[in-house]
Amino acid sequence: MTSASSPRLSLYGDRAILVAWETEGFSETVNNAVQDVAAKLRESGKYIEVVPGYDSLVCVFDLAERTPKDAKRHIEDLLARSPSHEAALGQLIEIPVQYGGENGPDMETICAAAKLSKDEVIALHSGQEYRVCMMGFIPGFTFLSPAPKKLHHPRLATPRAKVQAGSIGIANWQTGIYGLESPGGWQIIGHTPLSIFDAHREPLFLLNAGDRVRFVPQ
Amino acid sequence: MTLTVLQSGTQTLVMDAGRPGHRHQGIPGGGAADKLSFAIANHLVGNSWDTPALECALGGLHIRFDKACIIAMSGAEMWSQNQGLNLPLNKAVPVGAGDILTMSFTRAGCRAYLAIAGGIKAPPFMGSVSTYLPAKLGGLDGGPLKTGDVLEIGLPQDSPRSLPASHIPKLSNHIVLRAEKGPEWNYLSDASKRYLFTTPFYATSATDRMGSRFKGDQVTLGRPLEMTSSPLLPGSLQIPPDGQPILALVDGHCTGGYARALQVIQSDLWLLGQIAPGCAVSFRRSLASEAEVVLRGKNSYYAELIPGFSF
Repeated sequence: MTSASSPRLSLYGDRAILVAWETEGFSETVNNAVQDVAAKLRESGKYIEVVPGYDSLVCVFDLAERTPKDAKRHIEDLLARSPSHEAALGQLIEIPVQYGGENGPDMETICAAAKLSKDEVIALHSGQEYRVCMMGFIPGFTFLSPAPKKLHHPRLATPRAKVQAGSIGIANWQTGIYGLESPGGWQIIGHTPLSIFDAHREPLFLLNAGDRVRFVPQ
Repeated sequence: MTLTVLQSGTQTLVMDAGRPGHRHQGIPGGGAADKLSFAIANHLVGNSWDTPALECALGGLHIRFDKACIIAMSGAEMWSQNQGLNLPLNKAVPVGAGDILTMSFTRAGCRAYLAIAGGIKAPPFMGSVSTYLPAKLGGLDGGPLKTGDVLEIGLPQDSPRSLPASHIPKLSNHIVLRAEKGPEWNYLSDASKRYLFTTPFYATSATDRMGSRFKGDQVTLGRPLEMTSSPLLPGSLQIPPDGQPILALVDGHCTGGYARALQVIQSDLWLLGQIAPGCAVSFRRSLASEAEVVLRGKNSYYAELIPGFSF
């Protein structure tokens, strides 16, 4: 596995460190490093929050217990000790999807932009495995590795006031799943009946960062 | 012991110290938006500082106590009365069985905390009873109090206490927040860099526990920024393309895709909970070394009086 170049550490306010990797667009190598370093930082037990993103991570500490300098040194040491990153391969989860129609109001937009039929779009979107790169911005929202290039499309100019939970969308190169009903601007092409987040279920989350996902058209 | 909600008010939520540690799953730490006022109210009634209490935004709450108990209100200044008698802020007060407490509208600040000796009982989720509205977590069925709700109160832990006036924060409708440069500070235009620390912004009606959309001078980027969605923290000032900043608050999104221009320092995060629609908000430059000294000072100031509390 090729190794990601070393990340840049900077202060994010007075109680968090931002660890950012230099990358043009999405890089699986970089995301491996993000997940691996995030897991090790969480294991250390020194941080209140460790939040991985696509190409960066943020760790939050209590300024009363740790100075930014100490936190920075701890992360630098950890990076120096493990220069290459093998992110543990997460579980593969199949997500049943109903593409188009009422469940995918923006399917026609994507078809028109890509000059493809609905079946071709479905075949492309469900024809590859994705990696869960990040969970956020609300509970269960699943940010996946890039969709096939032909499907890339900007967000809606005006976000919808309500996107139903389970909606599967596209925003530029990103594709992802809405874990909860929320306002949203992604182009919605399908829907899964699975709950990514359920407060009354154990485990609470169906997916975690590092997992792999395959969409199965229904 | 119970209390009955006669009128739910603008937004009344059960809160404790929150559930930190889950931002990587999209769940914000949440908890009392103004941690200091929440801790003060609890301390006064003899509770430990992190006992579940009511967070009353803007006012309007009417409740009836079915038994005599000790209560205290802290935070936003509201004209509140018990049985028609004005209720002092920041003071433990006994109320009788059948007494009715009414809150009018806030004069300064946004959220008042009503603590009851013994605390409010609610089932915890991920170790906290704090209400998180977007995912309907915590509180009573994940929502705000409704008219007719009956809340269960625990057994008093300790006798009521008092705090010296010097420990009671004075709220105003112009909130000044000390902040450091955020990760994308360098993308701002030179003019924006100058006036972010001088001009006041105004919180619009698009202000809730998740964030506050500001109105004010246009804040612009000096060079284009193509940002992938990245982790975001409470107290981050984000700059969307329309140039009207958004301040992430206690229930703010865990990730965001706009430039993070400023970050409010840890010592001042409690003030985020007192930003009401219409309130003026200014930022003052803080340096990393200063933030640490301020925090240590403030923590030791309160630690002697409120055991376990820190900003």
